[in-house]
Amino acid sequence: MVKVFVTWSSMIKVGRYFDKNYKELVKEVIDSLELGNKHIDYLIISSVLSARALNQLDISTMIAQYLGLNNVKTSRIETGESSGLAAIEYAYYLIKSNLAKNVLVVGIDKLTEYPTQVTNEHYNLILDYELETLRRVSPPNYAALVMKEYMRRYRVSREDLTIWPIKMHENAVQNPYAQLRFKVSKDKVLNSIVVSEPIRLLDTFPIGDGAAAVLLSSECSTECIEILSVEASTSLQFYLRDDILELPASKAALSKVISRSGLSSSELKNSLIELHDSYSIYGMLLLEELGITDKGSSWREVSNLDNINLSGGLKARGHPLGATGVYQLCEVHKLMTEGLGGNVFDGKYALIHSMSGPDYNARLCLIRRGE
Amino acid sequence: MKSISIHWRNKDIYYGIVVTECLKCGRKSVFKWSRCPYCGSRELRVLKSKGLGVVRDYTISYYRGTEDLESYPRIIALVELDEGVKLIGELVDVDVNEVKEGMRVEAVLRRVGSDDPNGIIYYALKFIPTLRG
Repeated sequence: MVKVFVTWSSMIKVGRYFDKNYKELVKEVIDSLELGNKHIDYLIISSVLSARALNQLDISTMIAQYLGLNNVKTSRIETGESSGLAAIEYAYYLIKSNLAKNVLVVGIDKLTEYPTQVTNEHYNLILDYELETLRRVSPPNYAALVMKEYMRRYRVSREDLTIWPIKMHENAVQNPYAQLRFKVSKDKVLNSIVVSEPIRLLDTFPIGDGAAAVLLSSECSTECIEILSVEASTSLQFYLRDDILELPASKAALSKVISRSGLSSSELKNSLIELHDSYSIYGMLLLEELGITDKGSSWREVSNLDNINLSGGLKARGHPLGATGVYQLCEVHKLMTEGLGGNVFDGKYALIHSMSGPDYNARLCLIRRGE
Repeated sequence: MKSISIHWRNKDIYYGIVVTECLKCGRKSVFKWSRCPYCGSRELRVLKSKGLGVVRDYTISYYRGTEDLESYPRIIALVELDEGVKLIGELVDVDVNEVKEGMRVEAVLRRVGSDDPNGIIYYALKFIPTLRG
């Protein structure tokens, strides 16, 4: 049975790169890759906004040409906010099915090329254009309705839910690649501007550019970090759901991962976990949906969870759309090998979660340290 | 940029509200689907909604895109139609301090732009506090 290993990872600090174009950011990420006698069979690019913000179709070919990679198979993957993990999913299956030995996955997006209002308009397109975007419904509106319902059902105050951004910012201080490396207080969260009531600016991800890359290979060299399974699912439209506090795609992807890997609930709880917290309420709901905490009580436990979003999450590391899933794998790889900003994870398993919009699609990637 | 053909083709859902009823499981869902979103059946009937309903929840949105300059902030509401389905839409003609859950609303068409010089005026479906009861 072919195995898939993460053999190299690299990323730049998420931020504003007004002086560099997307090709230069990719080159900066790739520069430290030493292939030796390996040959890259596939180059997979994850980019959400390339056609809109970069005016570029077929971005994977443009990147291959810029990097001097001739005669390489390449394509771009796009599944909204989960694109990065989707690119990893396809790379994983290429190796697993013996069609490739080495696949380079690059996530790249530049969100700062236009004023925020324009970038917001691009981001709105992750929803159904004809049924949601044109009616001026935006992703934060759904997160706001979810947060209101959570507060109402579990009798939780807005103040109680400030714990997520506080913890994420605390974690990001340690992560040299995070966009927002500063702590925030409860008051600062509560007094930040309203995005979609009750969601405030410090409940959401910052806008930034990012590039990250991983090399997946069928053979490992020194430290073997194996991808055990990558699973995905889709779910019902938000307005058709009976219970908006459920994240059906994430839940379905988890049950597939568990049935494939046999991961026990205690192994899951002790895993290094990276969650897609585009809005802080999703971070807390995901803890509950994945069974890490009980329903309605995740917010009480956030401050004690030391294996969750050590990167700072989307909230504080940042969320350069197509690059985000690749960042998550880079961070997990570094934490399980050389360390990330002084942090090291010496446990056996890591789980990466990514989704688009209000869980319209979700992906999970389970990683195991080799024996 | 808006497309004339998209608007023309989608006039049923842009300028009205349709509801898909599943003849197999009996569940209703707003908009048109090729299969029932709940059970997957293709035995469907499409009904026209009267456009009357109740605000079940809402959020006041300060999130700004390039098309949010005229109407800001926006009230985005989860409306339960009298036909028993939920739908997301914008609520207008009501002060942000006066919107509340349980409010009766009705669907109306509002101008959202034009693409001069072609002379096409685009409308979108929004909700207002009901005048029809």
